[in-house]
Amino acid sequence: MKGLRKQFADTMLHIGQQDESLVVMVGDISHGILQPFAKACPGRFFNIGILEPSMVSMAAGFAKQGLVPVTHTIAPFLIERSFEQLKLDFGYQALAGNFISVGGAFDYAQLGCSHHCYTDVSLLAHLPGSQVFCPGSAVELDVLFSAEYRTNAINYFRLTENPHGVEFAPESIRPGKIICAREGHDITIIALGPQLKNALSAATSLSARGIEAEVLYVHTFKPFDSGTVVDSLMKTRRIVVVEELSAQDGLYNAVLRSWDGRGRMLSRQLAINEFIHGYGSYEDLCERSGLSAGHIAQAAAELVSHEVD
Amino acid sequence: MLNKKLRRRIVEIVTKAKEGHIPSSFSIVDLIDHIYGNLLRFDPQNPDWQERDQFILSKGHGCAGLYVVLEKYGLLSADQLASYSMTGGILGGHPDKTTVPFVEASTGSLGHGFPFSVGIALANKIKQLPGRVITLVGDGECHEGTIWESAHVAANQKLDNLTVVVDWNQSGAQLCPVDDLPAKWRAFGWQTHVFNGHDAAEIKEAFALVGTADGPLALVAKNIKGHGAKLTEGHGRWHHRIPDEQEYQELMEALS
Repeated sequence: MKGLRKQFADTMLHIGQQDESLVVMVGDISHGILQPFAKACPGRFFNIGILEPSMVSMAAGFAKQGLVPVTHTIAPFLIERSFEQLKLDFGYQALAGNFISVGGAFDYAQLGCSHHCYTDVSLLAHLPGSQVFCPGSAVELDVLFSAEYRTNAINYFRLTENPHGVEFAPESIRPGKIICAREGHDITIIALGPQLKNALSAATSLSARGIEAEVLYVHTFKPFDSGTVVDSLMKTRRIVVVEELSAQDGLYNAVLRSWDGRGRMLSRQLAINEFIHGYGSYEDLCERSGLSAGHIAQAAAELVSHEVD
Repeated sequence: MLNKKLRRRIVEIVTKAKEGHIPSSFSIVDLIDHIYGNLLRFDPQNPDWQERDQFILSKGHGCAGLYVVLEKYGLLSADQLASYSMTGGILGGHPDKTTVPFVEASTGSLGHGFPFSVGIALANKIKQLPGRVITLVGDGECHEGTIWESAHVAANQKLDNLTVVVDWNQSGAQLCPVDDLPAKWRAFGWQTHVFNGHDAAEIKEAFALVGTADGPLALVAKNIKGHGAKLTEGHGRWHHRIPDEQEYQELMEALS
């Protein structure tokens, strides 16, 4: 299965050959796989240096002159370190651009907290005129980027190193629309990006126990598809939210806002609650954070055991 | 002293609105007047003309100095200046490109306008546009790391369409007195020229260098903060002070 970073390079090459306005700037990562783009689109690829905030400001200058900038580096440096540049140089100035990260959450699990990033999705969502995508497969990235890269918006694409493994048909992937990955009626499990894999695994184990979970898959965090969440919750009145984001502000809040004022329901959040010290694999850190099929199934079973009213 | 009339306008609008940085504006107004009056190529009828030169005030708190120059050249109206920093007005205590024609960047937080300018200059190279970019930074602003990050890029990209004007009025030296700014710009690979930013002949000579370098150009202006009236000159309480009635009269007499 193709990885998202390779797809990113392929998509840049494909679009770049058709759209002379596309300019790619990277902070000393992915320059090897982007060489086909660099060769096919001379003068429109810059491995600009290790200076992320300035790279974002320069990208805003590109946008002002009518170019379509694509700015790419590791999530904590692209978003958290450079947030004021995103906020002022793009947001305040009403300029449009595309930001592509790798290393969201703890994809760089073995590198420690300096390379973890739990707040990027929320931070970008705060900016007026932003769109936030967390594709969990290569085809999603290609479809979503191709559809949205010229939208007059700040587009953020968080590329996972751990694809969820489900191959959705391209025509089923629509920006801003949740995909129902599994139908059910006892409980809703909603998962963001790569956590679909754990959500589907949990649903299978729950089914063996007689609990039929509906699994909603979110590739677009903003704009958020509240309608699909509400429709599912009207059936189940129970939801487990699974997200590789800070527990302080993310998918769980979006779900609660969607449901606001519609009566009682039971909910549980599985998210990242604290800085993760120590090392291991991506799966190790998921397990430590409660982001595993077992934790999801346990949370779902507990909710199903409770009466809603 | 140059431009008494522009300085009087600065005092008028700041006093009326009870907002503004008079000394910072006095420090740079002579330079901005020269830039708009003698250097920039633009179309007064078409602010978005793609081939225009662009001036970016990276030290946005000096914007009263920019607004009065835009008024002088017919790019802003007296009515627009009359509502400076007031409800319904388009001119604020920092410039906003989304509301003000001929304001090319929304600045305020220091260290943003300069890298933004580097991006514009590089974009003009990519698009083969002839527009030149002139950006004005403060010496205190040069404490920001983004200035040097992007200065490094501009030199390596050989951006001969980019000029930085440094308002070297010793504000930064209050905090960090060891600060040889011309040497810094030279060390970063910029052709550098030091001049008196309040002297007409030296200003003319300095800006004649625009377009002659084979890379980016740094014009370091030895300025006096608050230049124009004894009351406002130097550093200290006048940085963001609004004149009271007596001070207003004193300033207007000094600038008459």
